[in-house]
Amino acid sequence: MEKVGRDEIAARRSRAVRTAWVLGAVAALIFITFILSGVLKS
Amino acid sequence: MMSIEHTHGHDHESHAAHDDHHDHKPTGFLNRWLFTTNHKDIGTLYLVFALLMFFTGGAMAMVIRAELFMPGLQLVEPDFFNQMTTMHALIMVFGAVMPAWVGFANWMIPMMIGAPDMALPRMNNWSFWILPFAFAMLLSTLLMDSGGPAAGWTLYPPLSLQGGQSFAFVVFAVHMMGISSIMGSINVIATILNMRAPGMSLLKMPLFVWTWLITAFLLIAVMPVLAGAVTMLLTDHFFGTSFFNAAGGGDPVMFQHIFWFFGHPEVYIMILPAFGVVSEIIPTFARKPLFGYTAMVYATASIAFLSFIVWAHHMFTVGMPLTGELYFMYATMLIAVPTGVKVFNWVSTMWQGSMTFETPMLFAIGFVVLFTIGGLSGLMLAITAADLQYHDTYFVVAHFHYVLVPGSVFALMAGAYYWLPKWTGHMYSEKWGKIHFWISAISVNILFFPQHYLGLAGMPRRIPDYSTQFADFNMISSIGGFIFGASQLIFVGVILHCVYKSREAASGRVWEGARGLEWILSSPPPYHSFNTPPVIDATTVAHAGEAH
Repeated sequence: MEKVGRDEIAARRSRAVRTAWVLGAVAALIFITFILSGVLKS
Repeated sequence: MMSIEHTHGHDHESHAAHDDHHDHKPTGFLNRWLFTTNHKDIGTLYLVFALLMFFTGGAMAMVIRAELFMPGLQLVEPDFFNQMTTMHALIMVFGAVMPAWVGFANWMIPMMIGAPDMALPRMNNWSFWILPFAFAMLLSTLLMDSGGPAAGWTLYPPLSLQGGQSFAFVVFAVHMMGISSIMGSINVIATILNMRAPGMSLLKMPLFVWTWLITAFLLIAVMPVLAGAVTMLLTDHFFGTSFFNAAGGGDPVMFQHIFWFFGHPEVYIMILPAFGVVSEIIPTFARKPLFGYTAMVYATASIAFLSFIVWAHHMFTVGMPLTGELYFMYATMLIAVPTGVKVFNWVSTMWQGSMTFETPMLFAIGFVVLFTIGGLSGLMLAITAADLQYHDTYFVVAHFHYVLVPGSVFALMAGAYYWLPKWTGHMYSEKWGKIHFWISAISVNILFFPQHYLGLAGMPRRIPDYSTQFADFNMISSIGGFIFGASQLIFVGVILHCVYKSREAASGRVWEGARGLEWILSSPPPYHSFNTPPVIDATTVAHAGEAH
């Protein structure tokens, strides 16, 4: 059985949080771009 | 055939024992269920919620089929009928099928990749608990003076803008469902990309995990588009803007483009995890490795990519340039290629396998056959010239119900029967599971197959009354609907019996042919599993020994 050290667990958690922020930012960007494109056109 | 093996080896045995040692469940109902951050508890919450919504949306379907049992107005006012069709769709799509798949993802993904939990457990709790409030808000519109939404789940303007004040509640409910889905998807991606056990490379992951990874990317790409579209509807309705209001210079057809840019990938969001579950079940009961694992992964990714570039096949009748019609027709037909690869690979997996037909396998085979019928009628609808005839008829209703009911819902049933012994630690009643399958499989065809003929004969969808020439097929369809609806109560009975009454304990590896990390855990698995990452080898990888 392979042990995963505390440092590795902490690094994984911080990578997961970073992934979440990036994906959340992408979702927010798509939403804002859609609204803005409609506003700028009209 | 149920496995009589209890453990696989010392490593795995000690694994379960080690995890059991730390099996501290929170005490108290609120602590356990309201504040939980455990992926298994949250998975259970999602699945129970989805089942409740399945019966709520199903009750609305019964109202629809009762009204359509005979020509003429029987039971409900036309406007209430429209509210029923709209709410039935919104609840089944956003309340039943999608949350059910998120429930499966929560339960299974961490166990399948050897992770201790989802990457972001507190956000996981929040993702779920938004949903009951969203659906309470949506359902509350039925009690308001202006009634529930009645413009169809597509919410097309100008019709949707003619609704009353309750429309604001619908839009806010859709926003909340979207936020929940996006947070759930972020969690799935963050978990799969960062929490896999050492040695679990991407191409060793079970197909179910792969299909969910791709589904999660689809959700993040398209849910904000829906949110943007309904926000613009909201401002058109209440704040005097004219995004989609022709009188103010807006373009209602633009809404249809935006909606279907979300709506078509949404169809695949509901079906890709179904492909994953079926790809787990068929190898288990055929006792053969999945045929063409890598091809299955690429086919899933191809379907996801194509789902973004075919949206206008839903709106051929709005009028578009011939080149546009041709492009969307051919692009849509192209989806048949990766889908065909999948069907071919499932059949090839079964070919010369030592097959047995337990309930999960029956539902999986039912899925392959009946989903393919839905796929073929989809190909017919892709032909622009033919679609001008079929558009907005019962042929379309038959098509998408074949894809979603014996497609997505059968795969959910298959998955539930497959993993229920793992989740509960007890075997379900195989006899009643099979009875459930056969009644469902027969009645679902009585329900939806006649609707092809109704559509070809010209019966329009979303109407409470119809010409007498459509009476016979409607009566047959309604009878099928009532039987199908009633037969789902058997499913509830099987689950309740399995959870509370069954005395037949399930072993760790419930099914003889099952492979994958979830099967090296005990049944039920410890509350906290894989705190120490498992060893990844040929016996623990789900699709080891792939037949190329």
